[in-house]
Amino acid sequence: MTLDSARINWGKLLSRILLYFVVSVICIVILYPYFVMFCTALKSRQEIFSIQGTIFPKEWMWSNFIDIWQKAPMAQYMLNSIIIAGGSTAIAMICGIPAAYALARMKFKGQTAFLGFIIVSQMFAPVVLLIGIYKVMQTMGLTNSLLGLIFINAAFNQAFTIWLLRGTFMSISAEMEQAATIDGCNRIQAMFKILLPVAAPGIVTTLIFIFINAWNEYTVALCLISTDTIKPLTVGINIFNGYNIIEWQYLFAASIFAIVPVVILFMSIEKNLTSGLTAGGVKG
Amino acid sequence: MKKPYTLLNKAEPYLWILPSIILMSIFIIVPIGFVFRMAFSQVTKAGLIKGFAGFANFEKVLGGAKFAMVLKNTIVWTIFVVVLSTVLGFILALLLNNEFKGRKIARAIVVFPWATTLVIQASVWKFIIDIDYGALNTLLKTLGIISTNVNWTPTPEAYFAWEIACGIFVTIPFVCFTALSGLQSIDSSYYEAAIVDGANYWQKLFNITIPLVKPSLTVATVLNIIYVFNSFPIVWTITKGDPANRTDTLVTYLYKLAFYNGKQGEAAAVSVIGFLILLVCASVYMVSTLKKGDE
Repeated sequence: MTLDSARINWGKLLSRILLYFVVSVICIVILYPYFVMFCTALKSRQEIFSIQGTIFPKEWMWSNFIDIWQKAPMAQYMLNSIIIAGGSTAIAMICGIPAAYALARMKFKGQTAFLGFIIVSQMFAPVVLLIGIYKVMQTMGLTNSLLGLIFINAAFNQAFTIWLLRGTFMSISAEMEQAATIDGCNRIQAMFKILLPVAAPGIVTTLIFIFINAWNEYTVALCLISTDTIKPLTVGINIFNGYNIIEWQYLFAASIFAIVPVVILFMSIEKNLTSGLTAGGVKG
Repeated sequence: MKKPYTLLNKAEPYLWILPSIILMSIFIIVPIGFVFRMAFSQVTKAGLIKGFAGFANFEKVLGGAKFAMVLKNTIVWTIFVVVLSTVLGFILALLLNNEFKGRKIARAIVVFPWATTLVIQASVWKFIIDIDYGALNTLLKTLGIISTNVNWTPTPEAYFAWEIACGIFVTIPFVCFTALSGLQSIDSSYYEAAIVDGANYWQKLFNITIPLVKPSLTVATVLNIIYVFNSFPIVWTITKGDPANRTDTLVTYLYKLAFYNGKQGEAAAVSVIGFLILLVCASVYMVSTLKKGDE
Protein backbone atom coordinates (compact mmCIF):
# COMPACT_ATOMS: atom_id res chain seq x y z
CA MET A 1 0.00 0.00 0.00
CA THR A 2 2.62 2.51 1.06
CA LEU A 3 4.95 1.32 -1.68
CA ASP A 4 2.20 1.74 -4.28
CA SER A 5 1.29 5.29 -3.33
CA ALA A 6 4.94 6.24 -3.22
CA ARG A 7 5.38 5.00 -6.78
CA ILE A 8 2.42 7.02 -8.03
CA ASN A 9 3.85 10.15 -6.47
CA TRP A 10 7.20 9.55 -8.10
CA GLY A 11 5.50 9.11 -11.46
CA LYS A 12 3.49 12.27 -11.00
CA LEU A 13 6.49 14.24 -9.89
CA LEU A 14 8.52 13.02 -12.83
CA SER A 15 5.83 13.92 -15.37
CA ARG A 16 5.50 17.30 -13.67
CA ILE A 17 9.21 17.97 -13.99
CA LEU A 18 9.15 16.78 -17.57
CA LEU A 19 6.23 19.09 -18.36
CA TYR A 20 7.98 22.11 -16.90
CA PHE A 21 11.19 21.20 -18.68
CA VAL A 22 9.61 20.76 -22.12
CA VAL A 23 7.44 23.87 -21.84
CA SER A 24 10.44 25.94 -20.72
CA VAL A 25 12.55 24.70 -23.62
CA ILE A 26 9.78 25.53 -26.09
CA CYS A 27 9.33 29.00 -24.61
CA ILE A 28 13.06 29.65 -24.82
CA VAL A 29 13.14 28.55 -28.46
CA ILE A 30 10.17 30.77 -29.28
CA LEU A 31 11.67 33.77 -27.51
CA TYR A 32 15.13 33.26 -28.97
CA PRO A 33 14.55 35.21 -32.21
CA TYR A 34 13.07 38.07 -30.21
CA PHE A 35 16.03 38.01 -27.86
CA VAL A 36 18.38 38.15 -30.86
CA MET A 37 16.36 40.98 -32.36
CA PHE A 38 16.45 43.00 -29.18
CA CYS A 39 20.16 42.52 -28.47
CA THR A 40 21.16 43.19 -32.07
CA ALA A 41 19.06 46.35 -32.13
CA LEU A 42 21.22 47.62 -29.27
CA LYS A 43 24.62 46.88 -30.77
CA SER A 44 26.86 49.06 -32.86
CA ARG A 45 27.47 48.12 -36.46
CA GLN A 46 31.10 47.19 -35.72
CA GLU A 47 30.06 44.91 -32.91
CA ILE A 48 27.56 43.03 -35.07
CA PHE A 49 30.15 42.42 -37.78
CA SER A 50 33.02 41.70 -35.36
CA ILE A 51 34.73 38.35 -35.85
CA GLN A 52 34.22 37.02 -32.35
CA GLY A 53 30.61 38.15 -32.09
CA THR A 54 28.74 38.85 -28.89
CA ILE A 55 25.50 37.68 -27.35
CA PHE A 56 24.69 40.73 -25.25
CA PRO A 57 25.75 44.15 -26.50
CA LYS A 58 29.13 45.24 -25.08
CA GLU A 59 27.99 48.79 -25.32
CA TRP A 60 24.25 49.32 -25.13
CA MET A 61 23.45 51.62 -28.04
CA TRP A 62 20.07 52.95 -26.99
CA SER A 63 20.73 55.71 -29.49
CA ASN A 64 19.84 53.25 -32.30
CA PHE A 65 16.23 53.59 -31.26
CA ILE A 66 16.50 57.34 -31.73
CA ASP A 67 18.64 57.29 -34.87
CA ILE A 68 16.11 55.32 -36.91
CA TRP A 69 13.64 58.20 -36.71
CA GLN A 70 16.18 60.38 -38.51
CA LYS A 71 17.61 57.79 -40.90
CA ALA A 72 14.17 56.89 -42.24
CA PRO A 73 10.72 58.49 -42.23
CA MET A 74 9.70 56.13 -39.42
CA ALA A 75 6.97 58.40 -38.05
CA GLN A 76 5.47 58.57 -41.52
CA TYR A 77 5.65 54.76 -41.94
CA MET A 78 3.99 54.31 -38.62
CA LEU A 79 1.24 56.77 -39.47
CA ASN A 80 0.71 55.01 -42.81
CA SER A 81 0.42 51.66 -41.06
CA ILE A 82 -2.14 53.10 -38.67
CA ILE A 83 -4.15 54.62 -41.52
CA ILE A 84 -4.06 51.42 -43.57
CA ALA A 85 -4.92 49.14 -40.65
CA GLY A 86 -7.57 51.50 -39.24
CA GLY A 87 -9.19 52.16 -42.62
CA SER A 88 -9.23 48.49 -43.58
CA THR A 89 -10.77 47.55 -40.26
CA ALA A 90 -13.48 50.20 -40.59
CA ILE A 91 -14.47 49.15 -44.10
CA ALA A 92 -14.27 45.44 -43.31
CA MET A 93 -16.60 45.94 -40.35
CA ILE A 94 -19.05 48.22 -42.15
CA CYS A 95 -19.46 45.63 -44.89
CA GLY A 96 -19.05 42.57 -42.67
CA ILE A 97 -21.46 43.28 -39.81
CA PRO A 98 -24.63 43.44 -41.97
CA ALA A 99 -23.55 40.37 -43.95
CA ALA A 100 -22.84 38.36 -40.80
CA TYR A 101 -26.14 39.55 -39.36
CA ALA A 102 -28.07 38.40 -42.41
CA LEU A 103 -26.33 35.02 -42.34
CA ALA A 104 -27.01 34.54 -38.64
CA ARG A 105 -30.57 35.82 -38.45
CA MET A 106 -32.27 35.43 -41.82
CA LYS A 107 -33.02 32.60 -44.17
CA PHE A 108 -32.69 33.37 -47.85
CA LYS A 109 -32.04 31.71 -51.16
CA GLY A 110 -28.35 31.59 -52.01
CA GLN A 111 -27.21 31.56 -48.38
CA THR A 112 -25.08 28.47 -48.89
CA ALA A 113 -23.81 29.87 -52.17
CA PHE A 114 -22.72 33.03 -50.38
CA LEU A 115 -20.90 31.04 -47.69
CA GLY A 116 -19.22 28.99 -50.41
CA PHE A 117 -18.23 32.18 -52.19
CA ILE A 118 -16.60 33.42 -48.98
CA ILE A 119 -14.60 30.22 -48.57
CA VAL A 120 -13.45 30.23 -52.19
CA SER A 121 -12.36 33.86 -51.82
CA GLN A 122 -10.02 32.65 -49.06
CA MET A 123 -8.36 30.32 -51.49
CA PHE A 124 -6.88 33.21 -53.40
CA ALA A 125 -4.15 34.86 -51.42
CA PRO A 126 -3.53 38.40 -52.62
CA VAL A 127 -0.10 37.36 -53.89
CA VAL A 128 -1.61 34.93 -56.39
CA LEU A 129 -3.89 37.67 -57.67
CA LEU A 130 -1.29 40.44 -57.60
CA ILE A 131 -1.32 40.85 -61.37
CA GLY A 132 -5.11 41.12 -61.39
CA ILE A 133 -5.14 43.42 -58.38
CA TYR A 134 -2.56 45.62 -60.06
CA LYS A 135 -4.78 45.86 -63.15
CA VAL A 136 -7.85 46.80 -61.12
CA MET A 137 -5.87 49.40 -59.22
CA GLN A 138 -4.56 50.83 -62.47
CA THR A 139 -8.08 51.13 -63.84
CA MET A 140 -9.28 52.88 -60.70
CA GLY A 141 -6.16 55.04 -60.42
CA LEU A 142 -5.38 53.57 -57.00
CA THR A 143 -1.91 52.13 -57.51
CA ASN A 144 0.57 53.75 -55.19
CA SER A 145 -2.13 55.02 -52.84
CA LEU A 146 -3.12 54.22 -49.27
CA LEU A 147 -6.77 53.99 -50.27
CA GLY A 148 -6.05 51.14 -52.66
CA LEU A 149 -4.30 49.16 -49.91
CA ILE A 150 -7.16 49.86 -47.52
CA PHE A 151 -9.70 48.38 -49.93
CA ILE A 152 -7.58 45.33 -50.70
CA ASN A 153 -6.98 44.56 -47.04
CA ALA A 154 -10.65 45.07 -46.22
CA ALA A 155 -11.73 42.77 -49.05
CA PHE A 156 -9.30 39.97 -48.23
CA ASN A 157 -10.33 40.10 -44.58
CA GLN A 158 -14.06 39.89 -45.34
CA ALA A 159 -14.09 36.12 -45.02
CA PHE A 160 -12.64 36.23 -41.51
CA THR A 161 -14.84 39.14 -40.48
CA ILE A 162 -18.02 37.44 -41.57
CA TRP A 163 -16.88 34.06 -40.24
CA LEU A 164 -16.06 35.37 -36.78
CA LEU A 165 -19.06 37.69 -36.48
CA ARG A 166 -21.53 35.12 -37.74
CA GLY A 167 -20.30 32.74 -35.04
CA THR A 168 -20.67 35.47 -32.41
CA PHE A 169 -24.17 36.47 -33.53
CA MET A 170 -25.34 32.86 -33.72
CA SER A 171 -24.22 32.22 -30.16
CA ILE A 172 -26.56 34.99 -28.99
CA SER A 173 -30.24 34.16 -28.73
CA ALA A 174 -32.50 36.03 -31.15
CA GLU A 175 -35.34 36.30 -28.63
CA MET A 176 -34.43 39.72 -27.32
CA GLU A 177 -34.33 41.19 -30.81
CA GLN A 178 -37.66 39.59 -31.66
CA ALA A 179 -39.16 41.11 -28.52
CA ALA A 180 -37.79 44.48 -29.56
CA THR A 181 -39.30 44.23 -33.03
CA ILE A 182 -42.67 43.52 -31.48
CA ASP A 183 -42.19 46.70 -29.44
CA GLY A 184 -41.85 48.59 -32.71
CA CYS A 185 -38.13 48.58 -33.38
CA ASN A 186 -37.12 47.87 -36.94
CA ARG A 187 -34.34 45.40 -37.68
CA ILE A 188 -31.62 48.00 -37.86
CA GLN A 189 -32.61 49.51 -34.53
CA ALA A 190 -32.84 46.07 -32.96
CA MET A 191 -29.37 45.23 -34.22
CA PHE A 192 -27.78 48.44 -32.98
CA LYS A 193 -29.58 48.60 -29.65
CA ILE A 194 -29.66 44.97 -28.64
CA LEU A 195 -27.45 42.63 -30.63
CA LEU A 196 -24.31 44.73 -31.07
CA PRO A 197 -23.88 45.68 -27.40
CA VAL A 198 -24.24 42.04 -26.36
CA ALA A 199 -21.88 40.95 -29.12
CA ALA A 200 -19.31 43.60 -28.22
CA PRO A 201 -16.57 41.20 -27.01
CA GLY A 202 -16.77 39.22 -30.26
CA ILE A 203 -16.82 42.41 -32.31
CA VAL A 204 -13.77 43.82 -30.53
CA THR A 205 -11.93 40.54 -31.08
CA THR A 206 -12.73 40.64 -34.79
CA LEU A 207 -11.79 44.29 -35.03
CA ILE A 208 -8.39 43.77 -33.45
CA PHE A 209 -7.72 40.67 -35.51
CA ILE A 210 -8.34 42.52 -38.78
CA PHE A 211 -6.32 45.49 -37.59
CA ILE A 212 -3.37 43.19 -36.90
CA ASN A 213 -3.72 41.40 -40.23
CA ALA A 214 -3.73 44.69 -42.12
CA TRP A 215 -0.89 46.05 -40.01
CA ASN A 216 1.22 42.98 -40.77
CA GLU A 217 0.43 42.83 -44.49
CA TYR A 218 3.53 42.98 -46.62
CA THR A 219 3.17 41.51 -50.09
CA VAL A 220 0.50 43.73 -51.64
CA ALA A 221 2.03 46.86 -50.15
CA LEU A 222 5.43 45.83 -51.52
CA CYS A 223 3.95 45.48 -54.97
CA LEU A 224 1.60 48.48 -55.12
CA ILE A 225 3.47 51.19 -53.24
CA SER A 226 6.55 52.74 -54.76
CA THR A 227 6.66 56.18 -53.12
CA ASP A 228 8.68 56.02 -49.92
CA THR A 229 6.48 58.39 -47.93
CA ILE A 230 3.34 56.26 -48.24
CA LYS A 231 4.90 52.92 -47.36
CA PRO A 232 3.65 51.05 -44.29
CA LEU A 233 6.14 49.90 -41.65
CA THR A 234 6.46 46.34 -42.93
CA VAL A 235 7.71 47.57 -46.30
CA GLY A 236 9.35 50.80 -45.16
CA ILE A 237 11.77 49.27 -42.66
CA ASN A 238 13.43 47.40 -45.51
CA ILE A 239 15.16 50.68 -46.26
CA PHE A 240 17.73 49.26 -43.81
CA ASN A 241 17.79 45.96 -45.66
CA GLY A 242 19.69 46.97 -48.78
CA TYR A 243 20.90 44.55 -51.40
CA ASN A 244 24.52 44.91 -50.37
CA ILE A 245 24.52 46.52 -46.96
CA ILE A 246 22.11 45.43 -44.28
CA GLU A 247 21.95 47.73 -41.27
CA TRP A 248 20.82 44.99 -38.91
CA GLN A 249 20.82 47.19 -35.81
CA TYR A 250 18.48 49.72 -37.42
CA LEU A 251 16.35 47.07 -39.12
CA PHE A 252 15.72 45.32 -35.81
CA ALA A 253 15.25 48.53 -33.83
CA ALA A 254 12.58 49.56 -36.35
CA SER A 255 11.10 46.05 -36.29
CA ILE A 256 10.56 46.30 -32.56
CA PHE A 257 8.41 49.37 -33.12
CA ALA A 258 6.44 47.42 -35.71
CA ILE A 259 5.77 44.35 -33.55
CA VAL A 260 5.33 45.54 -29.97
CA PRO A 261 1.90 47.17 -30.46
CA VAL A 262 0.42 44.19 -32.28
CA VAL A 263 1.85 41.56 -29.96
CA ILE A 264 0.20 43.33 -27.04
CA LEU A 265 -3.09 43.68 -28.94
CA PHE A 266 -2.93 40.05 -29.93
CA MET A 267 -2.42 38.82 -26.40
CA SER A 268 -5.56 40.66 -25.38
CA ILE A 269 -7.77 38.81 -27.88
CA GLU A 270 -6.06 35.42 -28.17
CA LYS A 271 -8.56 33.52 -26.05
CA ASN A 272 -11.69 34.91 -27.70
CA LEU A 273 -10.19 34.66 -31.15
CA THR A 274 -9.35 30.97 -31.09
CA SER A 275 -12.70 29.89 -29.73
CA GLY A 276 -14.39 32.18 -32.28
CA LEU A 277 -12.44 30.75 -35.21
CA THR A 278 -13.25 27.15 -34.41
CA ALA A 279 -16.83 27.84 -33.36
CA GLY A 280 -17.58 29.56 -36.67
CA GLY A 281 -15.95 26.71 -38.52
CA VAL A 282 -17.62 23.81 -36.81
CA LYS A 283 -21.03 25.38 -37.06
CA GLY A 284 -20.51 26.41 -40.68
CA MET B 1 -48.66 41.72 -36.48
CA LYS B 2 -47.13 40.00 -39.45
CA LYS B 3 -45.46 42.14 -42.04
CA PRO B 4 -47.07 42.12 -45.48
CA TYR B 5 -45.23 40.00 -47.99
CA THR B 6 -43.61 42.44 -50.33
CA LEU B 7 -40.79 42.49 -52.80
CA LEU B 8 -38.80 44.65 -50.41
CA ASN B 9 -39.11 42.07 -47.65
CA LYS B 10 -37.94 39.37 -49.98
CA ALA B 11 -35.02 41.48 -51.10
CA GLU B 12 -34.04 42.51 -47.58
CA PRO B 13 -31.41 39.83 -46.83
CA TYR B 14 -29.68 40.66 -50.10
CA LEU B 15 -29.49 44.32 -49.16
CA TRP B 16 -27.73 43.31 -45.96
CA ILE B 17 -25.08 41.30 -47.75
CA LEU B 18 -24.77 43.75 -50.64
CA PRO B 19 -21.90 45.93 -49.28
CA SER B 20 -19.83 42.86 -48.58
CA ILE B 21 -20.54 41.44 -52.03
CA ILE B 22 -19.62 44.70 -53.75
CA LEU B 23 -16.35 44.94 -51.80
CA MET B 24 -15.33 41.37 -52.53
CA SER B 25 -16.45 41.54 -56.14
CA ILE B 26 -14.39 44.58 -57.04
CA PHE B 27 -11.24 43.62 -55.18
CA ILE B 28 -11.26 39.82 -55.35
CA ILE B 29 -13.56 38.60 -58.12
CA VAL B 30 -12.54 41.18 -60.74
CA PRO B 31 -8.82 40.46 -60.13
CA ILE B 32 -9.57 36.74 -60.46
CA GLY B 33 -11.24 37.51 -63.77
CA PHE B 34 -8.24 39.51 -64.93
CA VAL B 35 -5.83 36.73 -63.95
CA PHE B 36 -7.81 34.13 -65.88
CA ARG B 37 -8.16 36.43 -68.87
CA MET B 38 -4.45 37.22 -68.91
CA ALA B 39 -3.55 33.57 -68.57
CA PHE B 40 -5.28 32.94 -71.89
CA SER B 41 -4.11 36.14 -73.62
CA GLN B 42 -1.05 37.52 -75.23
CA VAL B 43 0.24 40.13 -72.83
CA THR B 44 2.86 42.72 -73.70
CA LYS B 45 5.77 43.60 -71.44
CA ALA B 46 3.89 46.68 -70.31
CA GLY B 47 0.95 44.51 -69.27
CA LEU B 48 -1.41 45.31 -72.14
CA ILE B 49 -3.69 42.49 -73.17
CA LYS B 50 -3.44 41.72 -76.87
CA GLY B 51 -5.80 39.08 -78.11
CA PHE B 52 -6.55 35.48 -77.26
CA ALA B 53 -3.60 33.15 -77.00
CA GLY B 54 -5.21 29.84 -76.10
CA PHE B 55 -2.97 27.72 -73.96
CA ALA B 56 0.25 29.37 -75.20
CA ASN B 57 1.11 30.81 -71.78
CA PHE B 58 0.49 27.49 -70.09
CA GLU B 59 2.64 25.70 -72.66
CA LYS B 60 5.47 28.15 -72.08
CA VAL B 61 5.24 27.76 -68.31
CA LEU B 62 4.89 23.98 -68.28
CA GLY B 63 7.60 23.60 -70.95
CA GLY B 64 10.00 25.80 -69.01
CA ALA B 65 12.99 24.01 -67.50
CA LYS B 66 12.36 25.43 -64.06
CA PHE B 67 8.69 24.84 -63.56
CA ALA B 68 8.93 21.20 -62.46
CA MET B 69 11.50 22.15 -59.81
CA VAL B 70 9.44 25.10 -58.58
CA LEU B 71 6.34 22.94 -58.35
CA LYS B 72 8.26 20.26 -56.47
CA ASN B 73 9.57 22.91 -54.05
CA THR B 74 6.05 24.19 -53.47
CA ILE B 75 4.73 20.73 -52.69
CA VAL B 76 7.65 19.92 -50.38
CA TRP B 77 7.24 23.29 -48.67
CA THR B 78 3.49 22.90 -48.16
CA ILE B 79 3.57 19.29 -46.95
CA PHE B 80 6.47 19.72 -44.54
CA VAL B 81 5.23 22.96 -43.05
CA VAL B 82 1.59 21.88 -42.71
CA VAL B 83 2.23 18.36 -41.41
CA LEU B 84 5.01 19.21 -38.98
CA SER B 85 3.37 22.35 -37.65
CA THR B 86 0.12 20.44 -37.13
CA VAL B 87 1.83 17.64 -35.20
CA LEU B 88 4.02 19.98 -33.16
CA GLY B 89 1.23 22.48 -32.58
CA PHE B 90 -1.05 19.72 -31.35
CA ILE B 91 1.60 18.38 -28.97
CA LEU B 92 2.18 21.89 -27.66
CA ALA B 93 -1.56 22.29 -27.15
CA LEU B 94 -1.64 19.02 -25.15
CA LEU B 95 1.14 20.38 -22.95
CA LEU B 96 -0.52 23.75 -22.45
CA ASN B 97 -3.82 22.05 -21.66
CA ASN B 98 -2.34 20.87 -18.34
CA GLU B 99 -2.83 22.97 -15.25
CA PHE B 100 0.52 24.32 -14.14
CA LYS B 101 2.03 27.44 -12.70
CA GLY B 102 3.05 29.89 -15.38
CA ARG B 103 0.62 28.55 -17.96
CA LYS B 104 -0.66 32.04 -18.70
CA ILE B 105 2.88 33.23 -19.36
CA ALA B 106 3.57 30.26 -21.63
CA ARG B 107 0.40 30.98 -23.60
CA ALA B 108 1.36 34.63 -23.96
CA ILE B 109 4.78 33.61 -25.26
CA VAL B 110 3.31 31.26 -27.86
CA VAL B 111 1.28 34.21 -29.21
CA PHE B 112 4.46 36.03 -30.25
CA PRO B 113 5.18 34.32 -33.58
CA TRP B 114 1.51 34.48 -34.55
CA ALA B 115 1.31 38.23 -34.00
CA THR B 116 4.60 39.15 -35.62
CA THR B 117 4.62 40.02 -39.29
CA LEU B 118 6.29 37.31 -41.37
CA VAL B 119 8.76 39.60 -43.07
CA ILE B 120 10.31 40.56 -39.73
CA GLN B 121 10.47 36.99 -38.46
CA ALA B 122 12.12 35.92 -41.69
CA SER B 123 14.71 38.73 -41.37
CA VAL B 124 15.62 37.59 -37.86
CA TRP B 125 16.08 33.99 -38.97
CA LYS B 126 18.19 35.18 -41.87
CA PHE B 127 20.39 36.95 -39.34
CA ILE B 128 20.50 33.98 -36.96
CA ILE B 129 21.77 31.51 -39.57
CA ASP B 130 24.27 33.82 -41.24
CA ILE B 131 27.66 32.13 -41.55
CA ASP B 132 29.90 35.12 -40.78
CA TYR B 133 28.15 36.99 -38.01
CA GLY B 134 24.99 34.96 -37.35
CA ALA B 135 23.60 34.72 -33.85
CA LEU B 136 23.49 30.91 -33.86
CA ASN B 137 27.22 30.57 -34.50
CA THR B 138 27.97 33.19 -31.86
CA LEU B 139 25.78 31.40 -29.34
CA LEU B 140 27.29 27.98 -29.98
CA LYS B 141 30.83 29.40 -29.88
CA THR B 142 30.15 31.12 -26.57
CA LEU B 143 28.70 27.93 -25.14
CA GLY B 144 31.80 26.11 -26.34
CA ILE B 145 29.90 23.68 -28.55
CA ILE B 146 31.71 24.72 -31.73
CA SER B 147 35.07 26.40 -32.22
CA THR B 148 34.76 27.75 -35.76
CA ASN B 149 31.78 29.13 -37.60
CA VAL B 150 29.50 26.52 -39.13
CA ASN B 151 28.04 27.15 -42.55
CA TRP B 152 24.38 26.41 -41.90
CA THR B 153 23.42 26.92 -45.51
CA PRO B 154 26.04 25.18 -47.67
CA THR B 155 23.53 24.27 -50.41
CA PRO B 156 20.29 25.70 -51.79
CA GLU B 157 18.54 22.68 -50.25
CA ALA B 158 19.88 23.66 -46.84
CA TYR B 159 18.56 27.18 -47.33
CA PHE B 160 15.21 25.75 -48.28
CA ALA B 161 15.20 23.52 -45.20
CA TRP B 162 15.76 26.60 -43.02
CA GLU B 163 12.92 28.36 -44.78
CA ILE B 164 10.70 25.36 -44.03
CA ALA B 165 11.82 25.45 -40.39
CA CYS B 166 10.93 29.13 -40.25
CA GLY B 167 7.55 28.37 -41.84
CA ILE B 168 6.87 25.69 -39.21
CA PHE B 169 7.93 28.04 -36.44
CA VAL B 170 5.45 30.73 -37.47
CA THR B 171 2.59 28.31 -38.14
CA ILE B 172 2.70 26.36 -34.85
CA PRO B 173 0.89 28.99 -32.73
CA PHE B 174 -2.18 29.04 -34.97
CA VAL B 175 -2.51 25.24 -34.83
CA CYS B 176 -1.73 25.22 -31.11
CA PHE B 177 -4.46 27.69 -30.22
CA THR B 178 -7.14 26.14 -32.41
CA ALA B 179 -6.31 22.72 -30.95
CA LEU B 180 -6.29 24.19 -27.46
CA SER B 181 -9.75 25.66 -27.84
CA GLY B 182 -10.91 22.27 -29.10
CA LEU B 183 -9.28 20.51 -26.13
CA GLN B 184 -10.88 22.83 -23.64
CA SER B 185 -14.34 22.21 -25.01
CA ILE B 186 -14.08 18.45 -24.35
CA ASP B 187 -16.39 17.44 -21.54
CA SER B 188 -14.37 16.02 -18.63
CA SER B 189 -16.99 13.30 -18.07
CA TYR B 190 -15.52 11.39 -21.04
CA TYR B 191 -12.20 11.14 -19.26
CA GLU B 192 -13.81 10.23 -15.95
CA ALA B 193 -15.65 7.38 -17.64
CA ALA B 194 -12.42 6.26 -19.32
CA ILE B 195 -10.57 6.23 -16.00
CA VAL B 196 -13.31 4.07 -14.49
CA ASP B 197 -12.83 1.69 -17.41
CA GLY B 198 -9.10 1.62 -16.66
CA ALA B 199 -7.92 3.33 -19.85
CA ASN B 200 -4.28 4.44 -19.91
CA TYR B 201 -2.97 7.79 -21.18
CA TRP B 202 -2.49 6.68 -24.80
CA GLN B 203 -5.88 5.03 -25.00
CA LYS B 204 -7.48 8.24 -23.77
CA LEU B 205 -5.45 10.26 -26.25
CA PHE B 206 -6.34 8.18 -29.30
CA ASN B 207 -9.91 7.25 -28.41
CA ILE B 208 -11.18 10.45 -26.85
CA THR B 209 -8.92 13.45 -27.35
CA ILE B 210 -7.95 13.12 -31.00
CA PRO B 211 -11.41 12.27 -32.36
CA LEU B 212 -12.96 15.16 -30.46
CA VAL B 213 -10.33 17.72 -31.44
CA LYS B 214 -10.44 16.65 -35.06
CA PRO B 215 -13.10 19.13 -36.25
CA SER B 216 -11.08 22.08 -34.94
CA LEU B 217 -7.89 20.66 -36.40
CA THR B 218 -9.56 20.09 -39.77
CA VAL B 219 -10.50 23.74 -40.04
CA ALA B 220 -7.00 24.76 -39.03
CA THR B 221 -5.43 22.37 -41.53
CA VAL B 222 -7.52 23.47 -44.50
CA LEU B 223 -6.75 27.12 -43.76
CA ASN B 224 -3.08 26.25 -43.27
CA ILE B 225 -2.81 24.41 -46.58
CA ILE B 226 -4.09 27.54 -48.32
CA TYR B 227 -1.92 30.00 -46.37
CA VAL B 228 1.27 27.97 -46.51
CA PHE B 229 0.91 27.18 -50.19
CA ASN B 230 0.48 30.90 -50.89
CA SER B 231 3.07 32.13 -48.41
CA PHE B 232 5.41 34.69 -49.89
CA PRO B 233 7.38 36.72 -47.31
CA ILE B 234 9.57 33.97 -45.79
CA VAL B 235 11.12 32.69 -49.00
CA TRP B 236 11.25 36.19 -50.42
CA THR B 237 13.09 37.66 -47.44
CA ILE B 238 15.57 34.84 -46.91
CA THR B 239 16.61 33.87 -50.45
CA LYS B 240 14.30 35.56 -53.00
CA GLY B 241 14.07 32.09 -54.53
CA ASP B 242 17.75 32.18 -55.50
CA PRO B 243 20.13 30.70 -56.47
CA ALA B 244 18.76 29.95 -59.94
CA ASN B 245 15.18 29.32 -58.74
CA ARG B 246 16.37 26.46 -56.53
CA THR B 247 14.39 27.76 -53.54
CA ASP B 248 11.47 29.28 -55.45
CA THR B 249 7.89 28.34 -54.71
CA LEU B 250 5.04 29.07 -57.12
CA VAL B 251 4.24 32.45 -55.60
CA THR B 252 7.79 33.81 -55.57
CA TYR B 253 8.27 32.41 -59.07
CA LEU B 254 5.17 34.15 -60.39
CA TYR B 255 6.10 37.39 -58.62
CA LYS B 256 9.43 37.40 -60.44
CA LEU B 257 7.82 36.49 -63.76
CA ALA B 258 5.32 39.32 -63.46
CA PHE B 259 7.29 42.14 -61.91
CA TYR B 260 10.92 41.40 -62.80
CA ASN B 261 10.74 39.68 -66.16
CA GLY B 262 7.66 41.38 -67.64
CA LYS B 263 6.00 38.05 -68.44
CA GLN B 264 2.59 38.78 -66.99
CA GLY B 265 0.79 36.30 -69.20
CA GLU B 266 2.95 33.44 -67.97
CA ALA B 267 2.68 34.67 -64.39
CA ALA B 268 -1.10 34.62 -64.71
CA ALA B 269 -0.89 31.05 -66.01
CA VAL B 270 1.14 30.09 -62.92
CA SER B 271 -1.55 31.70 -60.76
CA VAL B 272 -4.25 29.65 -62.43
CA ILE B 273 -2.25 26.42 -62.05
CA GLY B 274 -1.64 27.18 -58.37
CA PHE B 275 -5.31 27.88 -57.80
CA LEU B 276 -6.37 24.64 -59.45
CA ILE B 277 -3.93 22.60 -57.35
CA LEU B 278 -5.18 24.28 -54.20
CA LEU B 279 -8.80 23.80 -55.12
CA VAL B 280 -8.25 20.08 -55.71
CA CYS B 281 -6.24 19.59 -52.49
CA ALA B 282 -8.60 21.56 -50.29
CA SER B 283 -11.75 19.93 -51.65
CA VAL B 284 -10.27 16.41 -51.47
CA TYR B 285 -9.29 17.05 -47.88
CA MET B 286 -12.61 18.57 -46.93
CA VAL B 287 -14.67 15.87 -48.64
CA SER B 288 -12.64 13.06 -47.08
CA THR B 289 -12.80 14.47 -43.56
CA LEU B 290 -16.49 15.30 -43.85
CA LYS B 291 -17.20 11.76 -45.04
CA LYS B 292 -15.24 10.30 -42.15
CA GLY B 293 -17.24 12.50 -39.84
CA ASP B 294 -20.49 11.08 -41.20
CA GLU B 295 -19.53 7.46 -40.65
